[in-house]
Amino acid sequence: MKKVFLVLALAALPVYAYVNDALSFAHEAAIPYVKKGFSIREDAWGGDLGVKDQQAVTAQLFKGNDYWFCLGTEVRGAVVTLHIYDSKGKLAEAEAWQKGRLAGARVSPSMTGTYYAIITVEKSPEERTGWAVVYGYK
Amino acid sequence: MTKNNLLILALLLLVPLSVCCGQTPPESIDLSKFPAAEVEAVVVPVPSEIFSVLDKLGSPNWRGELRESFGKNTGNRAQVALRLGTVIAEGFIAVEAEDPLKVQEIGREVLALAEAINVRKAVIARSKSITEKADAKDWRAVRKEFDGALHDVRGAMRELGDDELAQLVSIGGWLRGTEVLTSIVSKNYSSAGAELLFQPHLLDYFTSKLDSLKNTRLGKEELVVRIRKTIAGIRPLIGKDDGSKISADSVQRINKMTGEMVAAIGAKEARQ
Repeated sequence: MKKVFLVLALAALPVYAYVNDALSFAHEAAIPYVKKGFSIREDAWGGDLGVKDQQAVTAQLFKGNDYWFCLGTEVRGAVVTLHIYDSKGKLAEAEAWQKGRLAGARVSPSMTGTYYAIITVEKSPEERTGWAVVYGYK
Repeated sequence: MTKNNLLILALLLLVPLSVCCGQTPPESIDLSKFPAAEVEAVVVPVPSEIFSVLDKLGSPNWRGELRESFGKNTGNRAQVALRLGTVIAEGFIAVEAEDPLKVQEIGREVLALAEAINVRKAVIARSKSITEKADAKDWRAVRKEFDGALHDVRGAMRELGDDELAQLVSIGGWLRGTEVLTSIVSKNYSSAGAELLFQPHLLDYFTSKLDSLKNTRLGKEELVVRIRKTIAGIRPLIGKDDGSKISADSVQRINKMTGEMVAAIGAKEARQ
């Protein structure tokens, strides 16, 4: 299956029901940051990937804000990672963590512009692994 | 368990799993290796993402930025979608101004506009919640409801097969948000404030969406044609490369262009 990239109202596409499941895990990964005052956007990215496949998703970020990007998958036993790069391809995150089916990365942009969240499925018992990313800012 | 063992356990838990699993990310990557389609689309930021930075840079007079009138409906669906975007953006401004009456007025207007394009059901709960939370002056919650309203209304439009109209909602919001951003930066120019306009990828994304509208009738709408020209006019003013300085004159020109466009969107005589 071709890699899928969605910037959308995930709920509007029932065919991607697995992405909806992944979305709930992405929101779970974001819970600590809601408590820290981050506003989590309603928009989300989602899709599915094979093992060791990667996906780049794009975001316009603003210097002066802090952002947390949170990734989740519905696949039990999967290991997914998320890292943030700037428009020149340099690692831009201030910190990142990974815990099984959840991952997160924080970026405090050094300049306003385009940034890329790189999603990787490191391990998975499934051929295709649904994933979803949400982000918050403050 | 001894105190030392507890300490070791705590330290182990603090070590990022990515490091212990050999998943340390590379310091740099070749973005060209990712297929173009995957790095082309971009989530459109909500106005409050920019407004929160402006708040950190100074104390903008948010009340002074609020519009008295949100414009009139012509019955033209493209115009209504664009207006919906501008009105939701107005909601974010009213939240910054902490003006409960204006927030409630905007909540009602969002509902009326949603009704005009058959997506009222998607925002009824949001509209009610906006009113309640504005009453309680829970501004963070109101901000989230406006973001949710934007999300829900676009989702409902997509369900109706109106993806392209949903895109216009985003563009309307961006235009009004940019008008306010440039108004505030113009009043107290700083390069840090002007840098917030550096959004080349986003503008290219809007352009590509407007240039590839499958609904040819929509593509020929007067407002859509004008927006395409406005974005093309703004693009060279925001700099080419990361760190490009955006001048006070450019900020003022962008303010004029976006202001005229927002006024045109709300104008009663917009072409049907």
